[in-house]
Amino acid sequence: MHLSGEVAERDAPPGSMTFLGAITHALRDALREDERVFLLGEDIGHFGGAFGVTKGLWEEFGDARVVDTPIAEEGFVGAAFGAAWMGERPVVELQFADFVSCAFDQIVTVGAKTHWRSGIALPVVIRAPFGGSVRGGPFHASCPEPSFVGVPGLKVVCPGSVGDAYGLLRSAIEDDDPVLFFEHKALYRRLRGEFPGSGHRVPLGRARVVRAGAAATVVTYAAGVDLALRAADGLDVEVLDLRTVWPIDEEAVLRSVAKTSRVLVLQEAAGATGVAGHVLALVARAAFESLDAPPALVSPPATPVPFAPPLEDTYLPSPERVRRALEELLDY
Amino acid sequence: MTRLALHRCMLLQRLVEERIVALYRQGRIAGSVYTGYMQEAVAAATGLALAPGDVVAPLNREQACHYARGVTPADVFRNFLGKGDGPTRGRDGNMHFGVPARGVFPLVSMLGDLVPVTVGAALAFKRRGEPRVALTYFGDGASSVGDVHEGLNLAAVWRVPAVFVVQSNQYAYSTPTERQMANTNLSERLTGGWSIPCVRVDGTDALAVYEVARDAVERARAGEGPQALEAVTLRGHGHAGHDAAAYVANELRLRFGDPIERLEARLRLDGLEEGELAALRDDAAAEVAAGLADAEAAPDPNPATLEDGVYATPLP
Repeated sequence: MHLSGEVAERDAPPGSMTFLGAITHALRDALREDERVFLLGEDIGHFGGAFGVTKGLWEEFGDARVVDTPIAEEGFVGAAFGAAWMGERPVVELQFADFVSCAFDQIVTVGAKTHWRSGIALPVVIRAPFGGSVRGGPFHASCPEPSFVGVPGLKVVCPGSVGDAYGLLRSAIEDDDPVLFFEHKALYRRLRGEFPGSGHRVPLGRARVVRAGAAATVVTYAAGVDLALRAADGLDVEVLDLRTVWPIDEEAVLRSVAKTSRVLVLQEAAGATGVAGHVLALVARAAFESLDAPPALVSPPATPVPFAPPLEDTYLPSPERVRRALEELLDY
Repeated sequence: MTRLALHRCMLLQRLVEERIVALYRQGRIAGSVYTGYMQEAVAAATGLALAPGDVVAPLNREQACHYARGVTPADVFRNFLGKGDGPTRGRDGNMHFGVPARGVFPLVSMLGDLVPVTVGAALAFKRRGEPRVALTYFGDGASSVGDVHEGLNLAAVWRVPAVFVVQSNQYAYSTPTERQMANTNLSERLTGGWSIPCVRVDGTDALAVYEVARDAVERARAGEGPQALEAVTLRGHGHAGHDAAAYVANELRLRFGDPIERLEARLRLDGLEEGELAALRDDAAAEVAAGLADAEAAPDPNPATLEDGVYATPLP
């Protein structure tokens, strides 16, 4: 399928840079500044990628830096680790994050365990468009990050703003460990912001208070950030964007919960997998006595992502659902 | 010189593995042990065919490749014994280790995974225009794994300087080759299926394997794209230390000779005296005994260091 242009360009405000544009800029700047950086992925060369993220890069950098691959996720992710062993800094694009299942073995076997076993660093970034609202169905709209949250040796990053998309990707490429970089498809053309400048870096492993508040904390990431901001309009609610979802910035979570005494975890991954499980366990373990209400969770039900609009719209957390959950949390 | 180097590497593997099997049976090595008994010629010859700047990803059967790269018996024993100053510092056991300073990538148990990794290392050499080669191994067993197909296909379409050594040792654990694949001629499949030139060679003939491996390595280095060789052997022991390999027919065992005896016969023809051969064996035995003594005296890993090095750059 080809979703380029389909993702809500229409309701984006005029001017400034898209989330997708920030990622393209980060790739271009990294390719310009560091000879060791090269891109690998399906249809990322002359075609410019399924979502157009790499458009223009092949024209500027050529076949040796922007490498089209056959359909072989396990193979080219493994090859990226091999090149990284030799000191390169490959950036892999998975066409859809769902296909990370095909490369799972290389990521958790070679990527995650090599440095701990041997001291060989494997600086590879695996970019993957994830998430729903594009009518992608069970194989083009899922949130696979829970499979990697908790895996020692991996870092998992999910930007939720234009500036972070740029700054986190630059930091990920400069990092010496394997980084999974999940880009929410619904943000690609909808989210706009200012270009932060090519020197901008956002440290991995650090959450950010996007909106300060005193009555409750929403812990979220990726598309959840924008959703939480809309749902919290008019409420005295703090929104914490984790940005790096593994390892989790536990201090930032505990600091905010200590202040607000109420917490809601919002994620697009199903049920209490991944971030939800970790954050809820952390709060139960380390912030129990500061809580004024049971921790709340807003996430999709434990099913695959459905295709038909009435089903997907029910499946995905909506601003209304988050709003109701927040009001219940505040009223408890 | 090469013949003596081959002999030394093969003999070290044989003698170290004899000690390892004994230590395992005595309960002094935990977990499991894997040997490459009767396959030593392939490991030694392919390892010695590489230049110092080349890189390699050996597996369980290729201990002699480590010796060809300059790894010592003491290093190998330290890993089997789980010592704190071994190649994996006790984090992994047996042949599951690499030696980065010697250009050796650590083995992973998921068969086939190191084929794409090796292709990626070769891709790095090609991108930078470096005259270096990356080599790895896979057996008839791993040839059924998807990673092997994906890696071979990438190597061929990218024309990278990679060399693949196919260890056709007749069994994947207990399953004979003919129950794994319809066409058991892997060199034919490499050449015809992936367009990677592959020469089939008797894996008990160290000199023949060395010639074929050196040609393959130099063709890859010269920019002729990926190369392969298929070494036909019989796995001399079971899959691992616990496996008596009772499923291997005696007729099959009779078809494969001992590669070390074969090389020694050749050395005698070259004019080596019995006394000189005995001296080579004594030197190797002394090196192995000293290596084991070193390893046994080495410190155990410190549990307080367990969480060190999960990340190259730990997050705050």
